[in-house]
Amino acid sequence: MVTQNWKYKTKNFRYRKLITFIGLVLIFVGLPFIVHSPYYIHLLIIAGMNAILAMTFIMILRTGLISLGIAAFWGIGAYASAAFVMKGEVSFWLALPAATVITGLISWAVGYLLVRNPGFGFLILTAVIGMLISLVFGNISWLGGFTGIEYISPPNPIDISFLAPILFISKIPYYFLMLGLFLLVLISFWALYHSSTGRAWMAIGLNPHLAESIGVNVFRYRLIAFVIASAVAGLEGSFYAHYIGSINPNAFNIFKTINIHIYAILGGTGSVFLGPIIGTLIMTFVPESLRIAKEIEPILTGALLILLIIFLPGGILSLFNLRHRHSEGTAGITRAIKKSFLLIGKKQKETHAPS
Amino acid sequence: MFTLLGQLILDGIVTGLVYVILAVGLVLILSVSRIFFIAYGQFYMLGAYIVWGSLTLLKVPYFVGLLMAIAATTLLGLLCYQFIFRYIQYRGSFLANIVAAIGLMMIMGQAGLLIFGTIARSVPPVFPGILSIANISIPVEKLILVILTIFIALTAFFIYEKMKLGRAMRAVSLHPEAATLQGVRTNRIYLATMGFGCALAGFGGGVMAPVYVIYPEMGTNIILSVLLVIMLGGQGSMLGAVLGGLVLGITLVFGQYFLGGLAQIFLFVVIGIILFFRPGGLLGHAELEI
Repeated sequence: MVTQNWKYKTKNFRYRKLITFIGLVLIFVGLPFIVHSPYYIHLLIIAGMNAILAMTFIMILRTGLISLGIAAFWGIGAYASAAFVMKGEVSFWLALPAATVITGLISWAVGYLLVRNPGFGFLILTAVIGMLISLVFGNISWLGGFTGIEYISPPNPIDISFLAPILFISKIPYYFLMLGLFLLVLISFWALYHSSTGRAWMAIGLNPHLAESIGVNVFRYRLIAFVIASAVAGLEGSFYAHYIGSINPNAFNIFKTINIHIYAILGGTGSVFLGPIIGTLIMTFVPESLRIAKEIEPILTGALLILLIIFLPGGILSLFNLRHRHSEGTAGITRAIKKSFLLIGKKQKETHAPS
Repeated sequence: MFTLLGQLILDGIVTGLVYVILAVGLVLILSVSRIFFIAYGQFYMLGAYIVWGSLTLLKVPYFVGLLMAIAATTLLGLLCYQFIFRYIQYRGSFLANIVAAIGLMMIMGQAGLLIFGTIARSVPPVFPGILSIANISIPVEKLILVILTIFIALTAFFIYEKMKLGRAMRAVSLHPEAATLQGVRTNRIYLATMGFGCALAGFGGGVMAPVYVIYPEMGTNIILSVLLVIMLGGQGSMLGAVLGGLVLGITLVFGQYFLGGLAQIFLFVVIGIILFFRPGGLLGHAELEI
């Protein structure tokens, strides 16, 4: 009786979640028809991009690794896409997946070296990559050196026979492109977190040694998380290059990564999707409305970081006592691990009993 | 041939020694306090600027300026620990530590840029002259740098290996809880390590000031190389930091002589190869757990 009641409740809860999700998507689809200011549309686009970058940071964090090199892979994606379109004369719609794949391959090669030493080693090496990337791009004259690539052509217009072609001139097509990418990433991340891969990540994040002892290939799953996160960052980089229209190496330095960390930590690292979105929206709209001077902005950001981590380590979401997916999931994983240990013990007893 | 080789190795050692002193300090903080103290480069910058300020504005002798730099950075390091990291340390959350350190780095870097301006400065020559032995020449300034750095590094090793404080530090770095049970005041040791590490950063900056140019971004630029040195030598190993710094300096100088502009890439190839075959670094044991 009690269990039935519980089942009914969870089912209802799930539907409510789905309905909220669809409602939010509809709101964001309708937003450009209400908000006409291109400036706010621009802020929304940038916020969407940053939210995805923050999600990739949390994806790596979930496996117990802290990456300081997200902006580097973002930059690799941007440069790859810009080089494809400007030097290779390829359509944007081909360059976008190509940039994603190339970033994924590079991160796979790099990750093979990095993920082998977790802890400080991973942190240090990703920090080195994050600081090095602007130097590397700056010294390649084929990619424009320190001035970067300018006048990157916008995405090719989409021709649908019975409609007017969609031209990427105003902000609104970009907004819908961003929304589409955002939903794509969101749904694929959701599916990943709910697959066996996601459960393995959760187990590694809880206790890598325990996970390894019950047969999870820690290195492989960490590498998978790193590659997927970096590839998604590359996808966002490709979008960014064609949206802004010009890229230079200094846009991808380590301070961008630090900003991504702020978005994730402000929202709360305990939640996979909601935390980064809330954190990014706050960090995008509040400083813009306050109009803080550019010189003291890093000081304020740094102070905000320190205050946040001392007084609100769980992020804004920890203020509302939400039932996180994470806490539920981790409890489930611990239960499963305990059960498996009990099973092993029982099996041994059974095998011992007849002899 | 011998002269060239000797000259290059000497230059490499001089270049590497500053990395050595910074890497030793950062390894101390990293392995004992478990703080990924990325703001370390800013302390180095501060030390260099204090020496510059005391030499050009206050007109005091060089060694007084150096002592002032060490005192100031030590004090700042202690304050940082007391007011920021003390509240984070006990949580055992690694992310919290690194985020606080990043915040500190942003504050100090930008404050340095605002206070000192973007112009590159240089300290007036303190010890002019060039010494040459068997066709290998070395400016006296660099010789002083070498002697002072070796002296300070040996002092650091003496403190870490032989003194009671160092023994307590090693105990805390091995296992904080067990050290607490043995009567070591862990919090005090964290504080002392922070002060000691920051003193080394201030010393590094002060000793570099007469030899190289001073500019506000020097802290951010050097932390990259210092992190590489730590990775190369093995995380958590002080002897490894010394070895890594020397390898980095010599590789850089040889690369610059034989390859020119490709020196940086050569360096990263060398480090990549070393890390591929020895993921823990040259003298690294097991990975440092977070």
